[in-house]
Amino acid sequence: MPANGGTTCRFMRPRALQPPTVQLGNSGIDPPAQVPQRDIIDAQMAFFGTGCIINEQVILQDQEGVLAWVSERLAVAMRQAEDLILRDYIVSAASEINAGGGSNSDNPTNLGISDFSLVATTLDTNNAYKFMSGIEGMNRHGTGPVRSAYFMLSSTELQTDFDSLVGQGFLSQWNYPTNASALPSEYGSVFNIRILTSSEAPVARGASANSGDVYYNTVLGKQAITHINQDGYSMNLIYRDPYYSGMLAQNATLAVKFAQAQALTQDTAIRNLLCTRLANLGV
Amino acid sequence: MAEYSRLAKGTVSSTGGMTPVKLPFVPDFVEIINYTAAATPASGGKPFIRWDANMGQGYAVYETFNATPVLTSAVTTTNGISTFYAGLALQYGARQQIIGATKADPIVFNVTAHGYQVGDVVIFEGLYQTSTTGMPQIAGMPFVITAVGDADHFTVKWNGNQSNYTALSGSPSGAYVKKVLYPFLYEPGVSFIEAITTGTTTTIVTTAPHNLVVGQEVAFRIPSSWGTTELNSLPNNIIPGSPKYGYVVTVTDARTVVVNINSTGYTAYNSNQTVASVPGLNFPQMVAVGDVNTGGWPITSTSVLYPPPTFLREGGSYSPTINGPAIQGAFVNNTSQGFIIGSTIAGAASDVLYYRAFLHDYSNP
Repeated sequence: MPANGGTTCRFMRPRALQPPTVQLGNSGIDPPAQVPQRDIIDAQMAFFGTGCIINEQVILQDQEGVLAWVSERLAVAMRQAEDLILRDYIVSAASEINAGGGSNSDNPTNLGISDFSLVATTLDTNNAYKFMSGIEGMNRHGTGPVRSAYFMLSSTELQTDFDSLVGQGFLSQWNYPTNASALPSEYGSVFNIRILTSSEAPVARGASANSGDVYYNTVLGKQAITHINQDGYSMNLIYRDPYYSGMLAQNATLAVKFAQAQALTQDTAIRNLLCTRLANLGV
Repeated sequence: MAEYSRLAKGTVSSTGGMTPVKLPFVPDFVEIINYTAAATPASGGKPFIRWDANMGQGYAVYETFNATPVLTSAVTTTNGISTFYAGLALQYGARQQIIGATKADPIVFNVTAHGYQVGDVVIFEGLYQTSTTGMPQIAGMPFVITAVGDADHFTVKWNGNQSNYTALSGSPSGAYVKKVLYPFLYEPGVSFIEAITTGTTTTIVTTAPHNLVVGQEVAFRIPSSWGTTELNSLPNNIIPGSPKYGYVVTVTDARTVVVNINSTGYTAYNSNQTVASVPGLNFPQMVAVGDVNTGGWPITSTSVLYPPPTFLREGGSYSPTINGPAIQGAFVNNTSQGFIIGSTIAGAASDVLYYRAFLHDYSNP
């Protein structure tokens, strides 16, 4: 969002016009005009930050270069905050589909192969844009072609469940014909969905009908969501020398701050596929 | 001295129960003057309250009037002062066993010493009376508590008085309830639908506050078994791929909105789902997708000069975010931190509470 642009970022999304499927005839009279409409999506910018106070004695005496590693930790904390904010926003804003194709009799059930098919069909029907082109099959042992695909953001705790779907439609990432387009966090694919796993994926502990953990698998197309930075304010690492602290200049400060907003820019192109696990493996 | 400490003061009107105070930090010491209780000494009044983090969460030391009335001192270990850091979703309170639930509209749940109050959001687990009976159809959906009968009973709005629902009794195995600690970190969002009234406009009742405003644009996700699928944003048989949306024209209360969709002749809404359908049962939802507003929130006699986004809560109160102004209907961040004045020390509803909160430079321990 540009500086001096106010507190709220506004997106305009044009509505489709009705296709003119009725012929004009020969009357010479123009058909009535359509009214072009746009949907308006607003998102308020929010500011975040955290920091550390470091006594000069630590800086002087610590053998590990404390400013360096604290800077690293602050940077990681900031990037994690960006992800967590976006994650929780998606949990709150995107609609849900409960998995029903699994066999554990819970609600939602564990992921069955039909759940992947259902959610991909839903996004396809909603004209969502896929993220990845397909990978053509090659004459390599154990590999298979990969369809063009949406991304699904899942928990690492579900990897055992994905493995149990081998032979039913799940293709491990290492069974792709080529790994050139695979992301480091990519675990595999099922039909039109490529699965990325993270230990920080959203999980509602003990929230299923049978008190199991509920995993939010976010399946999305390209146009589903936006992450908005404030112009010139995407990340600030701020170091203040002890000189600025007090009479005796004892304390340095290291801090990060950033601003971001987020919005669903196309609600029909995203779904949270909720599921439980096939079995609790004590992870 | 005090170079990095944080100090805050202010006044808040007691809700009569848990009263949250949002601050730019999490305090380690709080003191409160209940001006109303101090001005009119009466038995049980608590005019002066203090809390230190080293006491523990939920504790407080307070002075209270005895029957004379003369001030004496006392301590509470529950529902005193506690702090909160509401920054992450999907956080829950302790799981509590459900003893029973009525087959009624609304449903009254029996939970020993539940500790909830009106406006709290809860989710249920299990709710099977037997493997084929009970009310597991509503497990997993968030519900706001609409009434608290007593310390052991609370009410959520759902029509449980239908053929596929049976009462719960005898503490059924696996039947639990727990509080959603921070239910509205990002507003508005997805709401779950309790009832739909069709007509020239469409009235939607949600299970928890919808956080919508007049002018909000909404979409629907109604699974086929729930009936009113004509509201769904897709498919669109007239303009392929173009989602059908409605606009909120009236906000009746925290859980009810009127949408400008003419649903005359649409299939009736059906919340009488079967127990057998529960594995994989999908819930009807209303999704905020945009708005047609251009202005921010209006100033009131009690608001700040440039009011932040403010959302209607169960019972009719409004809750502001800690942000600056924004266009009504915008997606906003509602994360916050501060402390909660618990029900033991909050006094009566509308009591005037003056507070001071501290976060000290140095604390031992």
